[in-house]
Amino acid sequence: MYSLLVPSFCAINKLSSALFQGGNYIFEFDSFADRDICREFVAAAIAFHGETGKSTSEKPAAALQDEQLSTAEMEHRIKLLQEDNELQRLHKQFVIGGILTEAEFWATRKKLLDQNDRRKPKQRVALKNEMWSVKPLSDGQSNRVTFNLTPEIIHQIFAEKPAVRQAYLKFVPNKMSEKEFWTKYSRAEYLHSTKNVVAAAAEAAEDEELAVFLKQDDMLTNEARRKIRRVDPTLDMEADVGDDYMHLPDHGLLREESKDVLDSQYEPYRRYFSQDLNQHAAVVLQGRVVDVELGDTRSVAEALARTKQAELANEVSDGNLEKDLSHRISRVAEIEDLQGPRDLAVAPLCIKDPRDYFDSQQANALKPLGDAGSGVKTLKFNVSSVEAYGSLRELISEIRVTGLSEPITDPEVAFKVLSGLTQNISSTKYHLGKSPHESILDSLPKVTKEDLLHHWTSIQELLKHFWSSYPITTKYLYTKVTRLKDAMSQVYPKLQEIKESVQSDFRHQVSLLVQPMLQALDAAFAHYDADVQKRSAKSGERPNGFM
Amino acid sequence: MKFQIEDVTVYFPYDNIYPEQYAYMVELKRALDAKGHCLLEMPTGTGKTIALLSLITSYTLSKPSNPVKLLYCTRTVHEMEKTLAELKLLHNYQLHHLGPSVRMLALGLSSRKNLCINPSVVSAENRDSVDAACRKLTASWVRAMAIENPNVRTCSFFDNYEKAASDAILPPGVYTLQDLRAFGKEKGWCPYFLARHMVQFANVVVYSYQYLLDPKVAGIISKEMQRESVVVFDEAHNIDNVCIEALSVSVRSQTLEGAMRNLNRMSQEIDRLKATDAGRLRAEYNRLVEGLAQRGNLPIGDTWFANPALPDDILKEAVPGNIRRAEHFLSVLRRLIQYFKGRLQTENVEKEGPVSFVASINTQVGIDQKMLRFCYDRLHSLMLTLEITDTDEFLHIQTICDLATLVGTYTRGFSIIIEPFDERMPHIPDPVLQLCCHDASLAIKPVFERFQSVVITSGTLSPIDLYPRLLNFNPVVSQSFTMSLTRDCICPMVLTRGSDQLPVSTKYDLRSDPGVEKNYGKLLLEMVSVVPDGIVCFFVSYSYMDGIVNSWHESGILKEIMQHKLVFIETQDVVETTLALDNYRRACDCGRGAVFFSVARGKVAEGIDFDRHYGRLVIMFGVPFQYTLSRILLARLEYLRETFQIKEGDFLTFDALRQAAQCVGRVIRSKADYGMMIFADKRYSRHDKRSKLPGWILSHLRDAHLNLSTDMAVHIAREFLRKMAQPYDKTGAMGKKTLLSQEDLQKTGNGIGEMLF
Repeated sequence: MYSLLVPSFCAINKLSSALFQGGNYIFEFDSFADRDICREFVAAAIAFHGETGKSTSEKPAAALQDEQLSTAEMEHRIKLLQEDNELQRLHKQFVIGGILTEAEFWATRKKLLDQNDRRKPKQRVALKNEMWSVKPLSDGQSNRVTFNLTPEIIHQIFAEKPAVRQAYLKFVPNKMSEKEFWTKYSRAEYLHSTKNVVAAAAEAAEDEELAVFLKQDDMLTNEARRKIRRVDPTLDMEADVGDDYMHLPDHGLLREESKDVLDSQYEPYRRYFSQDLNQHAAVVLQGRVVDVELGDTRSVAEALARTKQAELANEVSDGNLEKDLSHRISRVAEIEDLQGPRDLAVAPLCIKDPRDYFDSQQANALKPLGDAGSGVKTLKFNVSSVEAYGSLRELISEIRVTGLSEPITDPEVAFKVLSGLTQNISSTKYHLGKSPHESILDSLPKVTKEDLLHHWTSIQELLKHFWSSYPITTKYLYTKVTRLKDAMSQVYPKLQEIKESVQSDFRHQVSLLVQPMLQALDAAFAHYDADVQKRSAKSGERPNGFM
Repeated sequence: MKFQIEDVTVYFPYDNIYPEQYAYMVELKRALDAKGHCLLEMPTGTGKTIALLSLITSYTLSKPSNPVKLLYCTRTVHEMEKTLAELKLLHNYQLHHLGPSVRMLALGLSSRKNLCINPSVVSAENRDSVDAACRKLTASWVRAMAIENPNVRTCSFFDNYEKAASDAILPPGVYTLQDLRAFGKEKGWCPYFLARHMVQFANVVVYSYQYLLDPKVAGIISKEMQRESVVVFDEAHNIDNVCIEALSVSVRSQTLEGAMRNLNRMSQEIDRLKATDAGRLRAEYNRLVEGLAQRGNLPIGDTWFANPALPDDILKEAVPGNIRRAEHFLSVLRRLIQYFKGRLQTENVEKEGPVSFVASINTQVGIDQKMLRFCYDRLHSLMLTLEITDTDEFLHIQTICDLATLVGTYTRGFSIIIEPFDERMPHIPDPVLQLCCHDASLAIKPVFERFQSVVITSGTLSPIDLYPRLLNFNPVVSQSFTMSLTRDCICPMVLTRGSDQLPVSTKYDLRSDPGVEKNYGKLLLEMVSVVPDGIVCFFVSYSYMDGIVNSWHESGILKEIMQHKLVFIETQDVVETTLALDNYRRACDCGRGAVFFSVARGKVAEGIDFDRHYGRLVIMFGVPFQYTLSRILLARLEYLRETFQIKEGDFLTFDALRQAAQCVGRVIRSKADYGMMIFADKRYSRHDKRSKLPGWILSHLRDAHLNLSTDMAVHIAREFLRKMAQPYDKTGAMGKKTLLSQEDLQKTGNGIGEMLF
């Protein structure tokens, strides 16, 4: 039994439909197929409601921006909203609240949408790591032996044994039927499983098609020879053979192996389990390279052959091989933990959750705050061209002598700048916190904290849209700004409300937290007013202006 | 970082250094100062190579008056590449800090097969055919012919190289084999001959052991190295075996048949030459009278393997009269081959010393010791006279002459063993005549005598007092370093019982017991489900591995293992094994996880590292004893007992345990790395076996981990992995410092060595 979880999804649906009242639903299905069908259906239904929900909420004024969304795109957006609680809240507040249009809201989040578009809708299933072992089913009475082949197994055989694939393409259906082909193949496998090389050779001598399966795979050998050139030189044991000047290869103390004494004529019919093992693992590692329906044997074989050819062509054209290899060796040569903090400077900065990051950096950032100011030198901005030329020449000659130091920026300086910036950014948000662990926010009641954070993000959103609308060139932007201004003006009382709602001992801290928000809003309003004045002055001069 | 060791300023390309690396450098410097040999054991994973390279190059820098040359010998080509990569790192660092004045030339040297860039030559299958294909294009007579006849093909890379003459030099720098090939391609010069030429001028040469130890190769490559060189044998735990093999030959009936064919071909050539150019044969005869078996200074394209005997033992006198004429020499060889044929027809195993063997040759076919000694040089001269280029066809007759020369030169330390069939397959006749060297000191003796300092170093040289005896030299420094660990990042365990509490072992009586095979399989199965990334398994031999993997396959255990990880396996085919290893690494890199099945004493155990996520666990299934019924081994043991009073059992255990230690040591590369080692055999719990393991493993082998069963081992593995995944302080804050910075070194000065031990 399988279950599907439909997460709470109230934001949009509450508006339009009683069908999805929010909350979780658990569906039980008998099979995967049923589940998949049902999932599609539900997704479509959700998308439908989502759309109707939005179309009711969108103001006619925004109609000129209305875009034609495919169901797939819509689904993506819905999914994004479902996954991100904060996004959902913002969406609810502004889009459904009518302050922003759907298109405007998403326009600033193109990146999110892009990423999701690129994602493959279907998960690619890896090959099964299971060797097709020939365990013939014998009924015990007659001499008949039965083999079971499924499309999956056939795919695996084709991938692991290029000679069989080639033979298939060559023989079927001109020379023999598909059934005959696989019978023959099974016969060959059976012969191998008996480990009787002589018998295999004898049968192969009589039947040349059977011989193809019984002989060692030449294509594999050729491929191996080709691949060995691209192998990591620190692994290349084949190269060692070139330096082995011992008198005879089989002399020495290590001879413990039994020498198989077998005539050379049987040699091609010998097969080792270890070879199959390695080949199998290599194929599994490579993964499913073809994306065709497994039922059609011929197309599978052809697709595999094509990918092999493409691979070959790529290898021939790949000129970076040598550079790549030597790069790989030099990387292996280094001993990591002897390396000093140099690594720190070049570690790629990847901030997943900015809030966490700045929170944790705050403590570090506050420390050097004191000495950061003293280290800054006042720069001389007024330089004559002669002076500038002179200093440039000096710099170049210096570089010529010492060469460019690597890394170009002094890591210390870079670190200072980074921590300075961090301090700046984090302090705008929680400049009162003493350490990451006892941030001022955490000491506030949970409701207040959430409210504050929410307001902060919503103000950010509003301001982002507000500032991006300037300069106002079209009527559309004008209405948008007006809308935004109205929304922003509503924030003031709300912030005041929060301030008053908290207990008196927190009030000071809250007001400190609210301060930057208010400042940001004030700045926006100031700009708005200035703009309106300028505009009215302008329109006074030119009554036939665009407004 | 930069620091002083006494009067030497050492440039070390990292910001920190392990204390044992520092101590290692101090000892090494003492040995260099004393101009003597030394023996240094330092655990794997402590950066031996870089410590060694930076001390020796810094030593040269601080003593510019008599620069020492470094001859660095590695076991394998890929180690050579790795060493050169580390050297490149160091060189860049030195250049950065000291400027262009410290430029040096360092290069790797290998055979034509690894250096040739002529596509028509390098596509040949093995080394000998590449060599022969090269000779066909570069031999002096071929090139002389090409001047007259434009249809004769030559190698454009060699021609360009010759044309450039003295201009053909490598600019200073560090060259891996890859770099040499790239440089050759860019300039159109043959990298092989260029490298051979530049070896004389290089400050650092990295090449294979055999370029110094095998007299045949050393005679042409390492002839001109100056005495003021430091020779380093890295990973030298098997050096005695290499020395022995360098002087051993075996002959089978196929060899004899091939040699006969070679002789026929040569006599045809002689007849042809007599008819067309009799003067050449006469000239050769005259040269031989004067005692010049070799033609003096051969053009570089004509060089061939030198004499298989050691340089000091080669007679500098005229070739005996009765083999000076080509036809006479051929008939001597024919008689010799006949004699060998007769000996191979024996029904019983025969063993004798070289003296009685030579005496019996003399009485039966009338070839005396002196003639035998000259066989090799005489053959060489004849082949040059006959202008034979397809030398790969003539390997058989070369083998016969090798044997003749060795047996004619040495009277002790060797024995001749003739076996009519393999001990394990008595019904299949497979006669073989083997000349076995037992004395490892013979081959290495000229190296100790010729060079002022020889450094023998490895992760496993325990017991360290045995090597000076086996190799017969007096080290001025002989030191074994322990490993200072920041945390217990290695976890050795001895597993004696399977999940059903029955003992596991690869001992002869238990070896093919299905219960043991199942227990081993269950152990691996449990481990693959617990351990992330890569697991390496070592088995005692190929046949044992094949057997057990097959039985796991049949019982379905392998299938269950595959549910967790991909499975790769070492085979006797190096190409396939290399590809399997490459895939194994890729599987570990992408997080799929994999198991690698390998063989102790095999090629993988010899030189492939399974560091970091490439090996979080290594399981040694069984004790890798040598095949004790081998006649060669028995003869060697007898020799060791008589000469050094080393007991057979002791030597076998020592040899098995050094192999086991070598196998498990591959998992760790630095102190940030971590790995587990399971010795799965009940015999490891015995003190006499266990105590032969190197100290750095023993010191981490807790008493509680000496007698485990599978379930307990799994429990320990879980705990260990959880502990290791935690962040930790790299510098080792608790009491002992395990990572030193420049200031640390300046503060404590030379007291650091004492602080450690």
